[in-house]
Amino acid sequence: MAKVRILPDRVANQIAAGEVIERPAAVVKELVENALDAGATRIQVEFRHGGRSLMRIEDNGSGMSRDDALLALERHATSKISAAADLDSLASYGFRGEALPSIASVSRFELQTREAGSDVGSEILVNGGKFVHVRDCGRPVGTRIEVTHLFNSVPARRKFLKTDQTEAAHIVQCVRLYALACPRTAFTLIEEGRIVFRSPECSTLAERIAEIFGRQTAESLAPIEAAEPGLRLSGLIGRPGIGRATRHEMIVFVNARPVDSRTLNYAIIESYHESLPKGRYPLAFVFFECDPAAVDVNVHPAKREVRFRSEPQVRSFVIRSVLQRLRELGGGPESGLRRPDGFQAVPAPLAASQATLPGRAATVVAAVPFSSSAPVVSKPPPPAASPSHPVSAIHHPQSPAPPAPAWRFLGLAHGNYVLFETSAGLVLLDRRAAHERVWFERLRDQFRVGAVPSQRLLLPIPLELDPIAAALLVDRLKFLAAHGFDVGEFGRNFFRIEALPTWMEPGDAEPFLRDLIGAFRDGRLPEKNADLAREELARIAAAKAIRLPDNASEAESRALVAQLFATPTPLASPAGRPTYIELNHGELARRFHK
Amino acid sequence: MKFKINRDHFANGLAQVLNVVGSKATMPILSNVLIEAEKDQISLTTTNLDLGIRCKIKAEVKETGSVTLPVKRLAGIVRELPNVDVTLDAAPNHQVKLTSGGSTFRIMGIGKEEFPPLPEFGDEKAHALEQSELATMLKSVAYAQSSDETRYILNGVYFNFKDGKLSLVATDGRRLALIAKEMEIPADGSGAIILPAKTVGELTRLLDKGAKVKINFNDRRAAFQIATDKDTSGLIDHVYLYSKVVEGNYPNYQQVIPKETHQRIKLERELLLQCVHRAALVCSEKSNSVKIKLSSNLLEITAQSPDFGEAHESMAIGYSGPDLQVAFNPTFIMDPLRALAKDEVFFEVKDEVSPGVFKTLENFVCVIMPVRLS
Ligand SMILES: Nc1ncnc2c1ncn2[C@@H]1O[C@H](COP(=O)(O)OP(=O)(O)O)[C@@H](O)[C@H]1O
Ligand SMILES: [Mg+2]
Repeated sequence: MAKVRILPDRVANQIAAGEVIERPAAVVKELVENALDAGATRIQVEFRHGGRSLMRIEDNGSGMSRDDALLALERHATSKISAAADLDSLASYGFRGEALPSIASVSRFELQTREAGSDVGSEILVNGGKFVHVRDCGRPVGTRIEVTHLFNSVPARRKFLKTDQTEAAHIVQCVRLYALACPRTAFTLIEEGRIVFRSPECSTLAERIAEIFGRQTAESLAPIEAAEPGLRLSGLIGRPGIGRATRHEMIVFVNARPVDSRTLNYAIIESYHESLPKGRYPLAFVFFECDPAAVDVNVHPAKREVRFRSEPQVRSFVIRSVLQRLRELGGGPESGLRRPDGFQAVPAPLAASQATLPGRAATVVAAVPFSSSAPVVSKPPPPAASPSHPVSAIHHPQSPAPPAPAWRFLGLAHGNYVLFETSAGLVLLDRRAAHERVWFERLRDQFRVGAVPSQRLLLPIPLELDPIAAALLVDRLKFLAAHGFDVGEFGRNFFRIEALPTWMEPGDAEPFLRDLIGAFRDGRLPEKNADLAREELARIAAAKAIRLPDNASEAESRALVAQLFATPTPLASPAGRPTYIELNHGELARRFHK
Repeated sequence: MKFKINRDHFANGLAQVLNVVGSKATMPILSNVLIEAEKDQISLTTTNLDLGIRCKIKAEVKETGSVTLPVKRLAGIVRELPNVDVTLDAAPNHQVKLTSGGSTFRIMGIGKEEFPPLPEFGDEKAHALEQSELATMLKSVAYAQSSDETRYILNGVYFNFKDGKLSLVATDGRRLALIAKEMEIPADGSGAIILPAKTVGELTRLLDKGAKVKINFNDRRAAFQIATDKDTSGLIDHVYLYSKVVEGNYPNYQQVIPKETHQRIKLERELLLQCVHRAALVCSEKSNSVKIKLSSNLLEITAQSPDFGEAHESMAIGYSGPDLQVAFNPTFIMDPLRALAKDEVFFEVKDEVSPGVFKTLENFVCVIMPVRLS
């Protein structure tokens, strides 16, 4: 039997690194936190190959003396706490003194730093955990850490890294989160020598959001501010009716720390229940503050999650506050935005949303959770709802009439359900679902034949995206052009929609493209499989962009039934929902106890 | 309050204000008409807060006062009354007695206090126009407004009083119509508003009552005083239409109107309209476009739908330019042709991606964007 023994420091560091440093973005996170802790007002993050070959973080913070710097590379060396009790009143991001030695144990790690008041800086080089040298160097006050060859000494880790693109997306997301948390610090993020974003010192969160996520997103937001003894919620939330297809723009901070809190996420989603259609996610950039003692961050080894001591209290506070705010903003379902009377002032100018910063230094919690609202793993595509059928230029002609059932129109309920009398009993048709099926087939045929009529616009529609979305879009401009969208790039992260498929209202174009980019991001429109991508595009378009005609007269309803039954699979919508339900005589008799 | 009134005059007055009722369930009074009697006239007012109309009718007022009554019901009753002489008598508790010949109706009203007053205008910008002229101008552009409520800025007609002319503009982002008229615009009178679609509709309907219409506006609202000197069915003074305006910046329309002319053809308006209308009969939701082909002295219009068939129309024209073709949504061609009155229009085209432009000799331009198969 093996003897118990104390691990050499180097091995212990690698084990710790395994927990804390699971991917390049985690290095960036730790080093950015250190820079913020050191009081930096300017931070520059640079990386190459998804962080694999290089990550360089430079700050203008306090810097370190040579002795402190050497000490900082020792395990559990920290300037931030000295006794366990300090954990409850922590004012910094870091506290464990684990990050630097861990990173240095799995990379080539070069640190340059100079303290104010000292006329020369120090450079320390550590390679794979082995000390190489320490010497004088010239540099301005502050610290620069360069991490190269990450995980070269730990092949097992390296194997688990995703593509450079995915790792890069995680790094970008990470820097964004801290940039949001600290608007007063200027951030520059550089990938492969190209600026991903540069955000100068901002005085408000709203400005910072506009810098990072674009003005259009910023203008969709309204400030929120709520407090109860011991709890505070502030920041910006999406106006009612404005949603996204993914959760990438739902970002929460607990005591200024970006976290992934199921409790907070679900509370926010739930608050929007009435204000967004099903399947849409709210926009939220919110700061939650509470007594650090009331939140537990030592839950999970990777520290992604936080848990509140009193989950129900937090949940109900958040839901109450958000609901209240939504009510003030005049909440309603997404359709409520379609202003019924043509009035309504333009969106409140940015200046009006003066969200203030939460006092970061005053309340910061222990531990190192990391938000996982980074890029999502691809979901398997939804099942193809119908078998493919032969393609020809001329499709199922509508005359002679298709075998539409002989249904007698009785009326319309709630604007969406059409009631018919049939020989077997009664039928309730869901107009929305039927319409989606009809349009899905129509668009899929159109896409297959490759003849998509495209309406040019007189007033092009501007589209401003965040850098990741912009990059995804740029790669797909050809695909979009083949499907009726003419989108041109107009400067960094700026696009103009110049032409649309004829079936789309110009007002739907911007939200539709955002949804589509969300789908690209989730891998639902694979670039390599054109058939699958086209089918998915038809599915999204039928669900999101085709408007239900207001008119549901008898003639219109009958035509819809005829068109529905001319499709190969009339029974279900492309999403698999039934298009109609039938109540037969037997069922009716049973219900009426006959 | 008590007054005697001619049934047809009363019915006519109610018809003027009938369309403007509030939809807000929280303010039931908005579905009422405010009736106020003074001297020898009554005034009728309705409002939905965004838009309000008031007209005045001759009446023999026995007792001044006011009351509000559900306007739809009241209009329905007044129209059907048996005798041309009608008496309306409102008790202090707002119970109203309406008599005419052998019929008597008792209707429960609501007091005036809850009725939101129509804002009156002070020293805003003011202009006067001929009613018939404004009506023609509105008709020339109104069809191009966007009905897509998500683009509320475009849900109206833009009035621009500037540089010695009034321009009216409407666009839905795919086409744009503009008509201008020269008029004197004093320095303090220049300015612009977006008049909401619903107001445009009401205004157009009201603009046949007399000679002049006066417009007052500021950044938030507009008012129209429509003289009723031609109307013989009891209306006196003027009809007052009050409206909020759509707040926001209207797109820069000058920028999208092509400056150069490429191929200009003179067309018989009616004939082109009929040809496009017939060709469009084969269009479907799937393929809603008509193709225009120009060749030496010939204009051809074709349309096809994969499920149905195809149409071909041809017109002799004076044309000696290069052969070219371009496709449009047929509605975009037919709308301006229907709205215009002149026999001849000019149509300018360039190629399959550039806009088509309709023009007339009187400062009218309609730009339509083409459809392309990608
Ligand atoms: N960018 C920096 N500027 C100044 N001091 C730093 C910087 N990075 C690290 N340090 C010092 O090194 C120590 C160790 O850092 P780290 O290993 O991340 O542990 P922790 O942040 O948990 O204290 C910190 O406590 C701090 O004193
Ligand atoms: Mg640290």
